[in-house]
Order: sequence, then structure tokens, then C-alpha cells
Amino acid sequence: MGVSIVVFMVLHLSPGDPAEIMLGSAATKEDLARLRLEMGLTEPLHVQYVRWIGRVLHGDLGRSLWMKRPVLGEVLHRFKATLILAASALVLSTLGGMALGVLSATRPDSILDRTSMVASLFGASMPVFWLGIVLMVVFSLWLGWLPASGMWAPYGGGDLRDLVAHLVLPAVTLAAASMTIIARLTRSTMLEVLGQDYIRTARAKGLVEGRVVVRHGLKNALIPIVTVVGVQVGYLLGGAVLTETVFAWPGVGTLMVQGILARDFPLVQGCVLVVALGFVLVNLAVDLLYAYLDPRIRYD
Amino acid sequence: MRIGRLLLGLATLVLALGLFVGSPAAQAPGTLVVGLVAEPVNLDPAQVTDANSNRVGRRVVETLVAFPDESTQLIPGLAESWVISKDGLQYTFTLRKGISFHDGTPLNAEAVKFSIMRQIDPNHPANKLGNYPFANYFFGNVRTVEALSEDRVAFLLKEPRASFLAILTAPAASIVSPSAAMKLGKDYSSQPVGTGPFRFASWERGQRVVLERNPNYWRGPVKLDRVIFRPIVEDQARLTELLTGSLDLMVGVPADYVAQLEHNPKVSVLKQVGAHVWYLGINNQKKPFDDKRVRQALNYAVNKEAIVRDVLKDTGTPSAGPVLPKTWAADPALKPYPYDPARAKKLLAEAGFPNGFSTTMWVPESGSGMQSPVAMATVMQSNLKAVGVNVTLQTMEWGAFLAKLRSREQELFALSWMAGSEDPDMVMYPLLHSSQWTPNGPNRALYKNARFDALLEQGRQNTDQAKRAQLYREAQRILADDAPWVFTDHEIQTAALAKRVQGFKLHPSFDLRVETVSLK
Repeated sequence: MGVSIVVFMVLHLSPGDPAEIMLGSAATKEDLARLRLEMGLTEPLHVQYVRWIGRVLHGDLGRSLWMKRPVLGEVLHRFKATLILAASALVLSTLGGMALGVLSATRPDSILDRTSMVASLFGASMPVFWLGIVLMVVFSLWLGWLPASGMWAPYGGGDLRDLVAHLVLPAVTLAAASMTIIARLTRSTMLEVLGQDYIRTARAKGLVEGRVVVRHGLKNALIPIVTVVGVQVGYLLGGAVLTETVFAWPGVGTLMVQGILARDFPLVQGCVLVVALGFVLVNLAVDLLYAYLDPRIRYD
Repeated sequence: MRIGRLLLGLATLVLALGLFVGSPAAQAPGTLVVGLVAEPVNLDPAQVTDANSNRVGRRVVETLVAFPDESTQLIPGLAESWVISKDGLQYTFTLRKGISFHDGTPLNAEAVKFSIMRQIDPNHPANKLGNYPFANYFFGNVRTVEALSEDRVAFLLKEPRASFLAILTAPAASIVSPSAAMKLGKDYSSQPVGTGPFRFASWERGQRVVLERNPNYWRGPVKLDRVIFRPIVEDQARLTELLTGSLDLMVGVPADYVAQLEHNPKVSVLKQVGAHVWYLGINNQKKPFDDKRVRQALNYAVNKEAIVRDVLKDTGTPSAGPVLPKTWAADPALKPYPYDPARAKKLLAEAGFPNGFSTTMWVPESGSGMQSPVAMATVMQSNLKAVGVNVTLQTMEWGAFLAKLRSREQELFALSWMAGSEDPDMVMYPLLHSSQWTPNGPNRALYKNARFDALLEQGRQNTDQAKRAQLYREAQRILADDAPWVFTDHEIQTAALAKRVQGFKLHPSFDLRVETVSLK
């Protein structure tokens, strides 16, 4: 609700409306007035909002002002592509980040540790569009290993191989920053956990080092990591806007950018609503995961 | 430890999997893949205001009057001939016989009437099926359309308009299948049905629009089997796709890449000046710009050659006025203002500003036909500074910029116009006639000159092209002297194509005529 009001107001209060942009530099006063009337933009804002939210509660997000198509179908269709991208990036960043973090923590100050920390710093400070373009130039243009953009080959293709090939570059690009954050957090948490008494006890029992690190160490370090991973989901869904634009990935991000530039109010509101809903669901899932990881946490 | 390694192994596996499954797309014979700068939003040209939608939509539908493949002169399209009444108020068209829409509906006078009247008659059954933004702009002068017989249709005008045939080449004048438009309703705009060389096949949102050859095309079927249009917003991605063979053709090559591509053996680059003009508007009513000498000084102060060469990398040609050079109405004697800062200073001194003055320039960050607005404006800012005019640049987002221009508070502003036709009535009248002052119309420079107005009025009422050319040439000379804008450039469109693409030409109207293409 809060999100919907903010989005509605920000969009409607920003200068320039859909009629203006549709008519462009050829606009005349009459044409603007006629188009605004046709698109229902002449009513007071609160009336427009109440009408819109009323329809949303009935599951109707309206039609896009430009495309003339129902917003809900359009957004859900695109959201699938965004979910595939964000989920792949999440798996990559979580697995990659944790692996790097654990390795660094078990060999503090080794060459591996230092290299991975420098790489982390690099990864965290690289803008998505820059990294994306560099990866694209290297792996598509120079080496010719991977397709540069899109989700499927323009013709042929359509199978899992095709999808994975198109997914690699955007997923790695999107995952890079999250991976470094997770790696650094895993490292510091693991270092702390590995210094605990129960780790010493486990080692004293003669357990294999790998079992000590993973079963006794990593599991106890997971709570903060899961929290950060949950936050990263929001970042990945948001960051997907840029990544999708760079790689022409047909997700909700590219749709939203298109909608914002055209002031396609119903479309942008629909996109934000669906993404926000996705974020809320992920947070819920993270909360439930806490209880599983640490049996001391209970929700009554 | 083992599990830690396992995790690392998994991560690298995902990467490696991708690396080895990918291979550049094999090119299919008969299929042309075109890279667009943005996704089309709507494929009904009557509802469309953006270039990318038109580039796709216009392959499916056609107009009564058309352009040949290389110019914007007028030739018969779906109409084989026409008669203009003596008073210039009635245009009667005879349609070609035996043409059908892709859904089998015959092309007849009723279909023509439907296509136009749905836009201008609020009581028409199809009027509420879409917004027709340019209905009034193009057809505001049409009183009605009458079907005289199966193949004869008359347009009755409110007042004579010599550019009316040129108007009928506009996207909004496309003839659509009435049965399809009524059956599909609001969804017609995403699955258009026309008479064109290609018929609509599919549209996967965000990914591609596919058109297929119309085997019954009245001019004879085209050589391609299908065209796939892919939206790729990022310049580098579009370029990489072209160089790796996943695209056959891309339009709007970024200026910085043109030279690089021209030397690449895998692709060829095409250039074509378009019916476009980029100008720095001046508020002619506001001091100190109400003095002609000040406006002329600005024209002398700006180094157009340098802008075209260094900023646009020769994807523009300096302009002397709004009319496209080398077309019938252009005045060949008219030359662009030379770069002459000394003369600019002298004129400013004569106008009472020996030490210059300060002003603001509004610039959109991007926008349809705007080329590189901020970089171009920045060069102008430094050029003007050199003659003592201190300019503060205010950059704005396109929508906000357009809204602000209606305030009449502008001093200097960067803007452009794509007329889509070489008829001067379609550029000079809206942009410079005093009846079109913003907010009523697009004359945002608030320019007014009684003689100039009279010439434009005569020009739009007279149907004799030689006489019109004379009138418009005089109007252009007045304009050059009055200098209501800093005349800047006409865009040179660019396209890059794979070597297997044969027979493609860029069209001055910015249309993307892939129907001329064959693949090696």
C-alpha cells in the first residue's frame, strides 16, 4: 500500500506526462488536452489513485497507455525472465561467495586470502554496466564463446543449452557485487566462529578438519550470512534493471525503464508492485529459514 | 574442507557449462535479423509516435501515396491515381484493383474511409479502440472521407492544403484491415493486419517481433522469408551482436563507432541524410533576443562545422535552414552561416552588448532525433562564451523538457524535428508560422514575421509545385536573415550491415525498408 502510494505520487508529480511524451515536439494544445482526457489524466490525483487501487484489489492492473495491452500479463511474463536471472545470480553469488569466504577464513593471510579480498574489493566497486560490457567484449566479441545479448538465439535455439549460454554473462555480472559482499561476510564470521571453544573441542575429538569447518563452523556462521543473502535478493531484483538493459534481457527491469521514460503510469506501477511483492515474499522466506537454522529461534 | 572445495567447484562448473555450450548463432538463409535501439511499443502506425514502432509496423501496412526507395518524392501507393479538384478541397483517389489485406479482406474505398475516420470521428465505432495522437495534426483539415464506389474514395478538406498528398504518406495515413481492427479491438495494435510486403507473425515481448513474407504482395513477393526485429538498447551489445553474426543489420550506429566499423571487413556502413533538422531555438520575443542582430551573432558564433565533425563524427551536415538540401523547395543559393566570431562580436556590440550578456540554455538529455544534445550544447556554450555570451546549461529529461518549453520562459533551447517528408509545409509551418506559437503549436521560438507567414499560407494553398518552390525559397531567405534559431544540422542516418545483406538503402524519411533486401 505504502509502496503503491509513493510510486503513484512520484510518477504523477514528475514533470511531463504520457500525452506530452507521446506527442513529442509536435504537440499542440488541443491534442494534449484531447489525449489527456482519453487517457483519464485530467481527474484529480487522488481520484485517479483510488480508481487504480480499486481495480488492483480486483486483480486488474489496467492496460498500458502505450502498448494498450493488459499490464498484469505483460509484467508476469517479464517477471519470469527476471526471476531466472536473479535466481541464477543468487545461486552464483551465494555459492561462490561462501566458498571464497570459507577458503579465506581457513587460510587467513595466505596468498589465496589476500587475492580473494582484493578481488572482492574490485568486484564490489565495479559498476554493473561497466563489468557487463567488459565481459561482453571479452567473451562474446573477442573469444566468441557466448552470445552477447538476449535470452534466446534469434532463431533456432530455445532449449536449455541456449538459455544457459545466454544466461552466463548477465548472471555473472549481476552476481559479482553480491558475491564479494557474501565472501567478505563469510570470511569474518567464519574467523570468529573458528576461534570458539566448541571448534577446539571438535578438533580435540579428532574430527576431520573439513567436517569441523563445515558442520561445526559454517552452520553456526550461517545466520548472518542468510540475512545478508536475503537482503541481496532485493539488491539483485533491483540491480537486474541495469543488467537487463545492458544484455537486452527481456525482464521486468527493461520493461520498467521503458515505462518510466514513456511515463506509462499503469505499467510502471504494475512492475513495482510485482517486484515489491516478490521482495516481501523473499523476506518472509528468510525469516522462516532462521528458525530452521537455529532451533532456538521460534515464531509464536 | 572438502565441502568448501565442492562449493567452489560447483560455481566454476556453472561458469564453464555456459562457456562451452555457447556458440555464435548460425545464420538462416532467408531470415534477416535487425537490431533496433528500443522495443516497438505498438504496431498500429496510427497510434504510434516512436521511430522503432514505425520501423516494424510500416512493413505490414501501406499508404495511398508512397515514396520511392531512394527519395521522398511522391509516387502512387495503394492508390493508382488521383484527381485534385480546382478549388483544392477534394482529393479523389482510384485504388489499385485486386489487392487484399493479409486476412483476406479486400482493399476497397470503405477500408480507406475506415482507416482515416476511426481517427477523426469521435463517434466512429473504432475511435475508442486506441489513442490516435496525431489525428488532428495530420487530418484536422479533413472534413470527411467518402467512399464513392468500390475503388474510388474522396477526401473532402476544410481548406486547401498543397501538402495533403505528402500527409497521406505519413504512418498515421496507413490503410488497415477494417475487419481485423474491429475483431481484434484494442489488441489490434499488437497484431496488425495490412496489405504490406510482410505480414505479422509473432511478437515475443522484450525479445523479438517476427514478420513473414506476404506471398500475395501486389508488387510481387519480396526475397526474404522473414525478418526478425530484436530490441537491444545498449550500443555495445548491438555492435557485438552485429560483429559476431547474430544481427544482420543495425540502424542508429553510435557516432563514435562509425569510423571503427567503416574499417571492419565484416560489415559495411551506409549513410543517408534524413528529413530532419536540429536547431538551437531562440526565444524571439524575449530581450535581448528580440533584436535580429543578436540572433545573427549567435549564428556566427557557433561553429557548426566543428560540432558536426568532432561531436557527431560526420553523422550530420551543417544546415542553412529547416528545408532539406537538394529537395525541390530548397534554395540552392542559401549557405549555412559561416563560423565568424569576430563578426558575432561586432553584431553584439552594434546591438548594445559590447561585453556580451548572460543567458540560459535548456537541453534535453536525449530525445527523438536529438543526436548528442548535451555534447552539442556544450560546444555551443563554449563557442558563445568566446564572444562574451555566458550560457548556463540546464539539462532535463525529455518529458520534463517538453513540458517546460510550453511556459514561454525559454531563452535558448535545443530541439529537433523529423518531418518524414521533404514538403516544406510539414516543417516550416508548424515550427515557424506565428499561428503555431507554443503552447498552441510547436513554434517554440515564438517567431513572427508577417511576410513569412503570408508566403507559407500561399505555399500551402497553391498546388503548383514550381510556384510553391518560389514561395518557399523567398521564405527561406527571410528566415536566414531573421535567424530565429541557430541553424545547426540535418542528421545523417547510419546503418551497419553484415556482408551477406544486399540491396539495402537507407531512406531519407527514416523508414527502414528491409523489403528491398536479399541475402547472399
